[in-house]
Amino acid sequence: MESSESVQRGLKLLADPCVFEPRSFSVMLDVCFRSVLVAPGDASVLDHPELKNLDQILVKQSHTAVVTFVLECVKLNTDKSTLSSCLEELSFSAERIEIFHNKLVSPVHALFCNIICLFSLGRRLPEINDVSWRLQYQIKSAQVDKVDEPFYLITLNTEVNKEAESSEDVNFSCTVEQLQDLVGKLKDAAKSLERAGQM
Amino acid sequence: MEEVDKILIHALKQVGTDVPEEVDSVKLFSSELVVEAVVSCLRVIDPGLGQGLPTSLPPGMSARFRVGMSLAQACQDIGYKGELGYQTFLYSSEPEIRSLLMFLVEKLPRGSAESSDQSTGKSMLLHKGIAAAMKAELAVPWLPLNCRLHRDAPTHAPDVLYHFHAQPLSLVHSPAGTQPCKEEREYHRDLLPPVTCQISHQPGVVSSLLEQHTAECSAAQEWNHEWNNQGLLSRLTPHEYRLRKRCRLRQRIEEQLRSAAQSSSDTGSHSASDLSDLLQTFKGHSSNAHMLTKGSHFNHTQKFTFTQVCSTVMQVWGGGVENLMNLMNLMNLMNLFYASSVHMYFFDMLCTDGILLLSFHKVLNDINKRDRENEMKRDQIQVKKKTMDLLPHAEENLHKIQALVETSAKRVLSLAAQWEKHRAPLIEENRRLKEICRIQDVSTELESLPQDVSRSAYTQRILEIVSNIKKQKEEIFKILSDTKELQKEINNLTGKLDRTFAVTDELIFKDAKRDESVRKSYKHLAALHENCNQLIQTIEDTGSILREIRDLEEQIESENGNKTVANLERILEDYKASNLFSPMMG
Repeated sequence: MESSESVQRGLKLLADPCVFEPRSFSVMLDVCFRSVLVAPGDASVLDHPELKNLDQILVKQSHTAVVTFVLECVKLNTDKSTLSSCLEELSFSAERIEIFHNKLVSPVHALFCNIICLFSLGRRLPEINDVSWRLQYQIKSAQVDKVDEPFYLITLNTEVNKEAESSEDVNFSCTVEQLQDLVGKLKDAAKSLERAGQM
Repeated sequence: MEEVDKILIHALKQVGTDVPEEVDSVKLFSSELVVEAVVSCLRVIDPGLGQGLPTSLPPGMSARFRVGMSLAQACQDIGYKGELGYQTFLYSSEPEIRSLLMFLVEKLPRGSAESSDQSTGKSMLLHKGIAAAMKAELAVPWLPLNCRLHRDAPTHAPDVLYHFHAQPLSLVHSPAGTQPCKEEREYHRDLLPPVTCQISHQPGVVSSLLEQHTAECSAAQEWNHEWNNQGLLSRLTPHEYRLRKRCRLRQRIEEQLRSAAQSSSDTGSHSASDLSDLLQTFKGHSSNAHMLTKGSHFNHTQKFTFTQVCSTVMQVWGGGVENLMNLMNLMNLMNLFYASSVHMYFFDMLCTDGILLLSFHKVLNDINKRDRENEMKRDQIQVKKKTMDLLPHAEENLHKIQALVETSAKRVLSLAAQWEKHRAPLIEENRRLKEICRIQDVSTELESLPQDVSRSAYTQRILEIVSNIKKQKEEIFKILSDTKELQKEINNLTGKLDRTFAVTDELIFKDAKRDESVRKSYKHLAALHENCNQLIQTIEDTGSILREIRDLEEQIESENGNKTVANLERILEDYKASNLFSPMMG
């Protein structure tokens, strides 16, 4: 897992017991998690009595570093061994690694991290929830006197995206052959997915 | 033989046989070890075949017999063409065991015999990770939206989706390594809001932090890549290299801006698109490696005079230059950093500033052009005045001018010679350094080759053995030709002897009827011939007996290796042991 120089510097500050004593270490971690997950935009988040004695520049540096590092860990879904090896390289003691890991995977933080922070970012194609179909039989049309063909009207209901404030259902009509073609293509796609999963 | 044994033992160890340290030749293999080795080989070659076979000999006699038979059968199933039976495993003999083990080791699939598996590259791991993740996702059953729990959220779309919108953050430390001034430090300490408060929208915080981190990481990577490829070649320190690159880019920006300003003053239209086109054009040249090659002495002087002209012109422009330099600094920074979050309004502001500056500079440019023309005209007037003054003494002045021209031509020639003298050693040094580089590359390549000691030692041995065999072949050919020569001589002599004897015999026999002494000499001749024949016969017999002795000695040696006596004793003991049981079982 790669981390930039500034993150490494900030984390080294955090690991240093001369700068951050054990109590202020756990307070710092709590503060960092709260600042990014629970109460962003709260400027007073770093105004903890324990942290007032320390040099504010160092506090801010390590705050940035920890927040960035936590987000990267969640993004890459690092397991405990990778995390501990990364932190060991930055000269974290074993107990500090333990505390960090526990805070990272604690249910409260994990929930917020996964749902609110990262998985709600980005663009996604709408996911199809449901399909409703209607079969109609066309007898005549304005251009052709006798048509006599069945047509399908298909609606693919997609999940509603609250920010877009609209349901992006896909509506289309097709002949029987086209529908068969579509179903065949979907089956091919499913099969290739299974094959890729078995590789 | 020792090499063969070593290779066999090495391969068996890799397959998983526990060969003790003191066993270093097939001769010292006990029956248990033989069985273990064969079974582990079989398990690797054909798992189905090898599963049913035990790795150690059971104690009971009949069980051992059965195991021996099944092992022999398995080996023959694989394709071993020699004679096999339970006796090969229970009462082993060295040559049979050696040939069997060689056959099995050859049959081992190549992958298991290799010690270091260097083929699990990163792409293979990535593919395997992707396949595992896809399999896990396919295994999760589909649930309608209302039934989904939050813990499944990663695999299904969440309710709200925010766009990834990164904004620049102001961090505490300065990235370029320069120490911030006192006011900056105070600002950082007291007033700078923490990073999470700098952006109001929470997803924006997350995106900006991730973007900032990725930008730093990739900038560091790019710098590393560039430094490893081009920076080390230029043999400067990183700081000097960066300075040189900055100067180079600045020069290029100056040139482009100047040419664009002049062309726009000709066409007379300024618009934002000009500046953006400008920036586009020199962005396209950013990977021009031509700028990095060392120019020759004359190229450098050319560039130097050009920059002198530039700087004098710039000084005349005065205060406008500062803005231009700031503009170029800004654009320099934009080009050097991997900024994906530059907003268009920021860029437009820059463009409008640029337009104002360009129009201002265009006016100054015109003024300067007029001034320069005036200067030139004044110079021309002066020259003409001087020539007018010189006209009365035209002859001597002509001579003086000719002498001047000759001296300057000679000076040019001498300068060229000096330059050549300088150039030659520089070229030599260039060549030498290229050699050193090449040698270094080759040596690093050599070091990076996998350190497989045993293989190279074996190849060396094999090559030695091949050369030995060649020498021996030559010697054998020589001996064969000597033997043929000898045989031809012997044949010749025997033929001669027979003919001489026949002639002498006839001659003397004719005279033997009349003379007594001739008869005696004939008897002597016959006896001589007889004795010589016997001598020759004895010699031949001695030779053939010596050959037989040699053959028998070889046979004795090979039989001694068979441990037949020890095996026979063991068979006797086992027979006794099995006989003890059978009357009991009745």
